[in-house]
Amino acid sequence: MLTTEKGRARPMLSGGNPVGSVVAAFGIPHSPHLPEQIRKEPSHPASALYRHVGEAIAAARPDVLVIFDCDHFSTMFLDNLPLFTVGVGERTAGPNDMTVMPRYDMPMHAALAEHLRAHGIGADFDLGLLQDFEVDHSIAVPLHFVTPQMNIPIVPVFINCFVPPLPSARRCYSLGQAFHAAVQSFPQPLRVAALGSGNFTLEIGGPKVAAGRRQGVPDPAWLHEASGYMREGQVDRLLQAATTERMLKAGNVAGELLAWIATWGMIGGSKPDWIHLDPEAGEVYSIWSGERS
Amino acid sequence: MSVYQINKLCHRMLRDLEFRAAMKNDTATAIATYDLTVPEKRALVEGDVARLFEMGVHPFLLSFMTRYEISGLTTEVYSERIRAAHDPRDRA
Repeated sequence: MLTTEKGRARPMLSGGNPVGSVVAAFGIPHSPHLPEQIRKEPSHPASALYRHVGEAIAAARPDVLVIFDCDHFSTMFLDNLPLFTVGVGERTAGPNDMTVMPRYDMPMHAALAEHLRAHGIGADFDLGLLQDFEVDHSIAVPLHFVTPQMNIPIVPVFINCFVPPLPSARRCYSLGQAFHAAVQSFPQPLRVAALGSGNFTLEIGGPKVAAGRRQGVPDPAWLHEASGYMREGQVDRLLQAATTERMLKAGNVAGELLAWIATWGMIGGSKPDWIHLDPEAGEVYSIWSGERS
Repeated sequence: MSVYQINKLCHRMLRDLEFRAAMKNDTATAIATYDLTVPEKRALVEGDVARLFEMGVHPFLLSFMTRYEISGLTTEVYSERIRAAHDPRDRA
């Protein structure tokens, strides 16, 4: 049931109580060298791209950012590595991995985190629980650029994108869909945006690094292909193409695409309003704006 | 389980500055208390990152060996050696 307030459709529970809505989604990279590089070189192209996304986030006026994240052995390690984990609490901080950048305290939205986790488990997702933790550059770098005032509470959702066997692309997309439904049953008119961070193609420390370097961007063609499916709203094409084997051929951290795929599921697999590719860096920037369901 | 121990000691270098310095100073002594096989210890001391990768060490963690230039692993040396490793992703 929809009612209109100030000329805008607003979701309501059947009893007439306002509920949460997913108002926008965003995808950005989180390369740990960027804060220091942009500090030294403010005209670096990534600076304007992050600013563009930051302005879109401000325009969407979200009350919460649900961040689909791939931790790099910083918050969790190989001794205890769930596929999906929700961070629950009032505050976190980061980066906790020696990234050269300012350190931030970050507010979290505990009530939405608990709601997403409960709803997700109710929908048969086995979601781990993480409390009393800090986050690494994969959350700190994006927020440093897009919400440096740290004025929007976050809910970090950790996906194992990094240590095969990885969860399937379809499972990650479904998780995003489940969280979309969960937001729509949150008993307050919360405006929720999703944020996914990560590269589409990147190798760190493995055999596909560039000559003379300890990382590399081995597969720009995959970046074009995968982002092309997103651009055209071809959900099934991407979910079929993005097998673990295919993603890892694009680099040992290219599984970070799963964070984007979960984000995409949360905004309903729609075509992005804006997308920018930097194939040489393995990076994509994207905005899905507007309230959809 | 000793590949896990190698992953763990690579990870330890990130925040444990004393251990990182010990690794840089004398890798063999720094890893002496770790329960590793002889080939694993040799690969660490010799900076044989291709072998370590093939043993199953996670490449992201392995790259800390060159980030801190352990066992003579400058970026160039690391890159050349790891690029020669057998990569199971290239099968088929």
